[in-house]
Amino acid sequence: MSSPGELKLSGWEVGETRKLPGMDVKKIGKDLYEIFIGPQHPGSGHMRIIVRLDGDVMVEVDPDLGYVHRTMEKLAEGRSFIKVIPLVERMAILDACNITLPYVEAVEKLMDIEPPERAKYLRVLLCEINRIASHLYGMGIFGVFLGHSTMYMWPFGDREVFVELAERLTGARLTHSYPVPGGVRRDVPEGFTDDLRKAVRYMRKRLEEYRKIFLDNPVIRARLEGVGVIPRNLAIELGIVGPNLRASGVEYDVRMVEPYEAYGELDFEVPVFEEGDALARAWVRVEEIKQSLRILEQVADKLDKMPREGFMHDKFWAKAPKLYKDVYSREGRVKLMPLFANLKVPAGKAFARAEAGRGEIVYYVESEGKFTPYRVRVVSPSFRNAIVFKYIAPGHRLMDLPAIYGSIDYFPPEADR
Amino acid sequence: MAGVVDTIISWIFWPPLFQLVIAPGLVAALAIVIFILWFERKTAARVQMRVGPYNVSPRLGGALQLIADLIRYSFQEPIIPKTVDTAAFILAPLAMLVISVVPTAAIPVSPLPWTWPIPMEHSLLVALALTTLSPVFLVAAGWASNNKFSVIGSTREAFMVTAYELVFIISLLAVAAPVHSYNLVEIVEAQAGWRMFAILNPLAFLAAFIAILMSTSGFPFEIPESEHEVVAGPFTEYSGLLYGIDMGAAYIKRYVMSVLLTIAFLGGWKPLDPQPGAGLLAGYIAPLVVVLVKATIVMAVMSFFRAVYGRYRLDQAVDLAWRVILPMALAGYALGLIYGYLGVI
Amino acid sequence: MPPRPSRRRVPPYGFLAAVKGNLGAIAVGLKYFLDPNRFTLHYPREYIRLKPGYRGFIVLNKAKCIMCESCARICPAAAMKMVRFQAPDPRRPGKMKLYKYPVINYQRCIFCGYCVDVCPTEALRHVPAHDVVYYNLEEMDLNLEQFQVEPKSPAEVEGGIPVRYVFDPERGLVKVPEKGQAGGG
Ligand code: SF4
Ligand code: SF4
Repeated sequence: MSSPGELKLSGWEVGETRKLPGMDVKKIGKDLYEIFIGPQHPGSGHMRIIVRLDGDVMVEVDPDLGYVHRTMEKLAEGRSFIKVIPLVERMAILDACNITLPYVEAVEKLMDIEPPERAKYLRVLLCEINRIASHLYGMGIFGVFLGHSTMYMWPFGDREVFVELAERLTGARLTHSYPVPGGVRRDVPEGFTDDLRKAVRYMRKRLEEYRKIFLDNPVIRARLEGVGVIPRNLAIELGIVGPNLRASGVEYDVRMVEPYEAYGELDFEVPVFEEGDALARAWVRVEEIKQSLRILEQVADKLDKMPREGFMHDKFWAKAPKLYKDVYSREGRVKLMPLFANLKVPAGKAFARAEAGRGEIVYYVESEGKFTPYRVRVVSPSFRNAIVFKYIAPGHRLMDLPAIYGSIDYFPPEADR
Repeated sequence: MAGVVDTIISWIFWPPLFQLVIAPGLVAALAIVIFILWFERKTAARVQMRVGPYNVSPRLGGALQLIADLIRYSFQEPIIPKTVDTAAFILAPLAMLVISVVPTAAIPVSPLPWTWPIPMEHSLLVALALTTLSPVFLVAAGWASNNKFSVIGSTREAFMVTAYELVFIISLLAVAAPVHSYNLVEIVEAQAGWRMFAILNPLAFLAAFIAILMSTSGFPFEIPESEHEVVAGPFTEYSGLLYGIDMGAAYIKRYVMSVLLTIAFLGGWKPLDPQPGAGLLAGYIAPLVVVLVKATIVMAVMSFFRAVYGRYRLDQAVDLAWRVILPMALAGYALGLIYGYLGVI
Repeated sequence: MPPRPSRRRVPPYGFLAAVKGNLGAIAVGLKYFLDPNRFTLHYPREYIRLKPGYRGFIVLNKAKCIMCESCARICPAAAMKMVRFQAPDPRRPGKMKLYKYPVINYQRCIFCGYCVDVCPTEALRHVPAHDVVYYNLEEMDLNLEQFQVEPKSPAEVEGGIPVRYVFDPERGLVKVPEKGQAGGG
């Protein structure tokens, strides 16, 4: 007869629950070692991964999302349409334009307006700058997860180049709030396209060095090759998006399957890799940066040739007073008409999607014809990718978890919304 | 008066004391480790588009940063969690620190017999044996912490021991064969001019070098403390000065092993050649400095790897050790035997 | 030419490539060890001269304000609030008038710049400072007088060197000290 405070260990079956004072204790498995990685852990980000280990091998991996959940969808219901932009931007501030663009597009669909040509190119410009910055960020985190501190610092340092570009364009380093219904908020400043071309040249050179120190580094090769393979079928089944999907050999990119803004007119490739392992995911990102650089060059040429007008839909600009036009021609800053504060959007439902840095992001906006949206639904790429942990990590060693995590480029604030 | 000074000098330079506590022992070890830590951070910063330590003493390039860190560690509250095995928790890092220094007793820094703390007949074996002691305390520290991450970290260290220990010993024995002696002094004396064993026997040298990286968690083998799975490995629960000691001990171990490597492969105090009649300066201090400088260069190269490599996976590191490095060490040993048989040295 | 997929494979890797990979990695490391490419800003000894158009702190030009409230209405963070007070009307002597002006609470402001962009008379503007600090939270809630004072970057006040970053095709961003240019850029 044991005392109530004592746990009887003999004859305890897996899955059976026994009582301790104040708690139930369940045996999770024979010889399993359960560790909770996160949310306060150098290798977890803002989430918890519950790992069950058999020796050094993970047998069960459970991503536990929601640590940075901010009820964005609910908050959006109480704000006027334009105020939702800075809100949803906070899902992934390093990818701000890509993240907010589909929302703006959805509102535009409801209002039945289309941004003018130049605004489309300006949006593409910032989207690609963001995509590069986002990929560099992801690669930096990837690098440090593998203990490669140079690969941590380099992409972060080089990302500064693109953050600086974005700052010159929008006035803010990260939270650009750049696209607004009807157009964009700034035009390119003086000398911007030249700086852009310089940055593109620099980045091309750097990508070669990344390859030397990281992708072709035998240590990194050994860590990544064949690790965390997502077979093509599984990737489709789980609904994975973005570079992770393309690394598994699926040709899917919203920019390609449903070109939005000016993407249909640009000449670029969507790199797709066959292998589906962590190494392929790293390669996809590098190749995508190369393609983004290509897009940036084309956009720069195009912007140089275009007349400096048509950055805002006529609905918001035709009646603009002279001061507004003066400010625009002087500073390239697009002033917002006061009606933006109380934008009344016709009733209806709209759906828009875009290819953000980490994959397809989908917005569903429903309006009742009031000042605030009735519903804003966001499906973010990281949320769709999170499930991967559960399926591909088991069977790998514990030390593979950071490699898998980093290669997925999972970003908890984006998933948790 | 002069007699007193002489007495004090002779006490300080009494080899068993001087060698262990001052140089190449504890004091020199700390000084060089502090330099190397600074160098490591600066090197990484240079490669990585950063400046590194700077604001503490901008004129010296932030060299005092490490001292500042040390002060900070000393004044931090050492938190000892309730769940740890207190005695082992406190003693393990201290023991690790002390044990890491002990091999210096068996490492000669000069050919003159009066500078040897112990007889140097089998000094290579003694030094090797002493270097193998400290992982025990690392494992103990992790086990005493009673934390899952610590235990995993300790286990990894235990695995790594199986990987590097044999390699290190075999590759160092490769220098004993040509000289027909385990006496480190004779081993150094055999390496006159460019006939260093690092050049004659690069296989064994490389194997020993990699073994040092493995045993002291140098990149690319920084596995037991791998931050992204096991926080700080065996040291997860440590804080304050104890954490500082934990971290320092690994570097001191690396330093001691580098000194051993210098003696065995890089010609020790060569090109100096102190004659039997030499005094304190020429016979003891000068060769000592040469050894320390060479060891520091070895450590600096190891530090540079931090900026170039990531870390291997545990199984890959062990695999590499057994499949590549161990055969390499054995080949190095065979080469040493051939040299010995042919009497090349 | 519209976007199209391009299927690739990761380049194969053998023993030779591994040796080459090791050497290549070390060579690149050495290259930067010998010729570091760093652009750290030694703040506050140096500070960035912000570009015109930077969305920094905001000041009000009361004379231009027409009290339209647009700025307070568009503020997504509810940082901009209107203060109301009665004061003598200059145009109708002896009569009182209701004045309302915006004030800002920097605890809440997210520097989205909507208020500046929506102001119909350019009464609000950004100043080229982004590093103003406050001793406590209450101070961040500005009143009407404080809102009209241009905040200064503490680094500038303390005599830091203004620098600019310029783009360079070889080194990315290059830090250039800016000499002899007074005033906000
Ligand atoms: S910058 Fe944005 S958050 Fe700040 S006061 Fe203006 S509108 Fe509000
Ligand atoms: S929007 Fe401009 S004019 Fe209108 S209240 Fe605000 S500051 Fe005054």
